[in-house]
Amino acid sequence: MADSTPNAKLLLLGVNHTTAPIDVRERLAIPVARLADATRALAHQPGIREALIVSTCNRVELLTVADSDSAPSPVEFLHNYLNVPATDIQPHLYEFREREAIRHLFRVASSLDSMVVGEAQILGQVKQSWSIAREVGAIRSTEATSSAGAFSSVLDPLLQRAFSVAKRVRTETRIGSSTVSIASVAAELAREIFGSLAGKTVLLVGAGKMSDLSARHLIQQGCTTLLVSNRTETRAEKIADTLRTPTITTGVIPFGLLHDQAHRADIIITSTGAMALGAAAHIFDRDHARALLQRRKNRPVFFIDIAVPRDVAPAVNKLEGCFVYDIDDLQQVAMQNQASRGKEAEAAESIVSNEVARYSERLSQAPATEAIKQLLADAEVLRQQELARIRHQLADQPLSEAQLAAIDRLTKSITAKLLHPQIAALRDLAKSETSQD
Amino acid sequence: MALLWLRLAVLLYGFAALAVLPAALYDRPRWKSIAIPAALAGAFFHFVSLTESLYAAHRALPVDTHETLSLLGLILVAAFLLLAARYKTVAFGIFLLPIAALLAIVPAFHPGHETIAYPPFGDHARTGWLMLHIALLLAAYAALFLSLLASLFYLVQERRLKQKRSARPLSRFAAWLPPLETLDQIALNALRFGLPCMTAGLLIGSVLALETTGPTFFADPKVLLSIAMWVAYVLMIFIRRHSGLRGRRAVYLSSFVFLVVLAVWAANSLSTVHSFKTP
Repeated sequence: MADSTPNAKLLLLGVNHTTAPIDVRERLAIPVARLADATRALAHQPGIREALIVSTCNRVELLTVADSDSAPSPVEFLHNYLNVPATDIQPHLYEFREREAIRHLFRVASSLDSMVVGEAQILGQVKQSWSIAREVGAIRSTEATSSAGAFSSVLDPLLQRAFSVAKRVRTETRIGSSTVSIASVAAELAREIFGSLAGKTVLLVGAGKMSDLSARHLIQQGCTTLLVSNRTETRAEKIADTLRTPTITTGVIPFGLLHDQAHRADIIITSTGAMALGAAAHIFDRDHARALLQRRKNRPVFFIDIAVPRDVAPAVNKLEGCFVYDIDDLQQVAMQNQASRGKEAEAAESIVSNEVARYSERLSQAPATEAIKQLLADAEVLRQQELARIRHQLADQPLSEAQLAAIDRLTKSITAKLLHPQIAALRDLAKSETSQD
Repeated sequence: MALLWLRLAVLLYGFAALAVLPAALYDRPRWKSIAIPAALAGAFFHFVSLTESLYAAHRALPVDTHETLSLLGLILVAAFLLLAARYKTVAFGIFLLPIAALLAIVPAFHPGHETIAYPPFGDHARTGWLMLHIALLLAAYAALFLSLLASLFYLVQERRLKQKRSARPLSRFAAWLPPLETLDQIALNALRFGLPCMTAGLLIGSVLALETTGPTFFADPKVLLSIAMWVAYVLMIFIRRHSGLRGRRAVYLSSFVFLVVLAVWAANSLSTVHSFKTP
C-alpha cells in the first residue's frame, strides 16, 4: 500500500513522553549533531530503503520504508547504535504500520501528539530531521527519483504532505493561538494592555529565574528599555549587564529610590518575596500605585507579581489603570489556554483524519497510476513506429502537413479508445484491493 | 440609477456587518477578508449614488435629512476602513457598519423630498462652501461618535483585564477587543481629527450666515447650541490631553459632549434659519 513498488513497508517505531519516563528518553535521545550520522546508519541497515529519525526532548521516533517484513526491526538499530539493551526499550515502544504510521506522523507534525498540544516547535524539528535525512541520502527527493527513473520515494511526499497538513491545522483551527507558559502569558497580557510592546520599559524588581525569563520574553516582544532594582545593587548591575544588547538599553535603580523612579516603567515585574524575609508591608501598596499613576498621567501600568508572598498589594488592581497579575493569575490563564487548545484539538483531529484518508487513497492508486503510465508510453511508442512506417511507405507521394496532422489525431484517438477499458480495469483493480485491505 | 446604487451599497453594508461578526468575535481571518472588501465596495457604490443623485438634481449639497444621514453613514464606513488599515482592527465594524446600513436604508427605500427653505444658496461658490460646512460637521460628529465608542470599548477591556480572565462571561465575550492603548489612541486621535473639522465647519457656516442674514443669525438657538458644542469639544480634548483622563470618567465626558451634539442636531426643529422643510 505504501509504495508503487510491491512489498514496500512503512513502519514507525518510537517512544514519547506518554510511553517512556524521562530516564529512558534521555538514553534514547540523539542530539542534533549526531542526527545525520544516526539517520545514515539506519538507512544503511539491510532491507531499509528510506529512513528518518525525529529526536526531541519528548520523543524519539524512527520512520522507515523497508523492502519487506523480513527487514530487521529498527529496535536492533537502537540497541546497536545507542548501546541500550532491547529489553529496556521494548516495554515503552509503540509501533505503527502503513495507514496508522501516516496518521501518527500527521499528528506529530500538527503538534497533536505534543506534551503542550499546539506548540509550534515540533514542526520545525520534524522539518529539520527531514532536511538532514535528505542531505545524507536516507530520503530520496521526489524530483530526483522522478528524473532518474528510480523507484519512487515514499517518505519525501509523505513528509511534505505532513507539513501541509500541519499548516492546514494551524490555519483552520486556533490550536496555536493561545499561549501556555507563564512567561509567554505575561507577554500576551502586556500586549492586550499596550498593543505593540515596541519602545516599552520593563522594570525588574528583585531577581529570580522566572522574572528573568519573563523579562527576556518581553524584550523579545519588542520592549527596548530594562530597568533593574534589587536590594543588592551589584546583583542588579549584573542582571542589567546580562540583558544589555545593542538594541536594549538597561539601567539600575537603587532600591531606596524605587518608588521615585518606578513611574518610568510600563511593566513592573516583582519577585522579591520581601514579606517572607520579614518586611512588614508590600513593596507596592495602593498609595504607591496611586502616586505612580499620577506621575504617569494615568497611563496604564502592568504589575507582574511572581513573588510568594506577593510584592504588590491586591488592592492595587482596583485602581483604574493598574493591572496586577500574581503567579496564580498567570497560571490560571495558562491553564485556560491549555483547555481551549484541547477544544481546538478536536477540530484538528478531524482534519488529520480526512487528510490520512485522502493520502491513503492516493497511495492506493499509485501502483495503478504507474501501470497506466507504462501502458500509455508503450502505446505511444507503437503509434510513433506505425506513423514512421506509413511516412516511409508514402515517401514517393509525400503527405501534406494537414494530412499528417489529421493522421496524428486519428491514431491518437484510436489508441485512447482502445486503451480506455484497460485503464478503467486497472483503476477498478486498485480500488478493490484497497477495500479488501 | 442612483437609488439602485444606494440599495446595492446598503446590501453590501449589511453583508459586511454580518461578516465582521465572526471576523471580530471569533478572530476568523477569512471573514475579515470578506468584510473589508464588502464595506469598501459598499462605500464606492454609496459615493456613486450620492454623486449621481446630486448631479441629477443639479445641486452640489445634500439638503434632504435622509441624504445628510446617508452621507454620515458613508463617513462612518470610511472611518471603519481607516481603522482597519491603520490599527488592523475590525472590532469597530460591529457597531459602525450596522449603523451605516441603517442610516442609508431609509433614503434607499424611501427617498425624501426636503430642501433648505432659507437662505437660497444660488451661486456655485456658496454652494461649494455650504457643502464643505456640512461635510466637515458630519466628519466631526462621526469622530466624536468613534471616540465615544473607543472609550466604551476601553472601559469593557479594562474591566475584562481586571477580572483576570476568569470564567466570568465578560472575559470570554470581550476577548475580541483591541488592546487598551490602541483604544486610547483611537479615542484621542478621533477627537484630534474632529476638532479642526468642527472648527472649520462652524466658521464656514458662520461666515455664510453673516453674508446672508447678518448678525441676527447668531441669536438662533441652533447656532448658540453649536457654539456650546464647540466649547465642550475643546474642553474635552484639553482635559483628556492634560490629565490623561481614561476609563469611566472619559466615557462620562464623551457621553456628555455626544448628548450636546444630539441636542444641536435636534435643534434644527427649533431653528428658524437652519431647518429642513418639505416644499
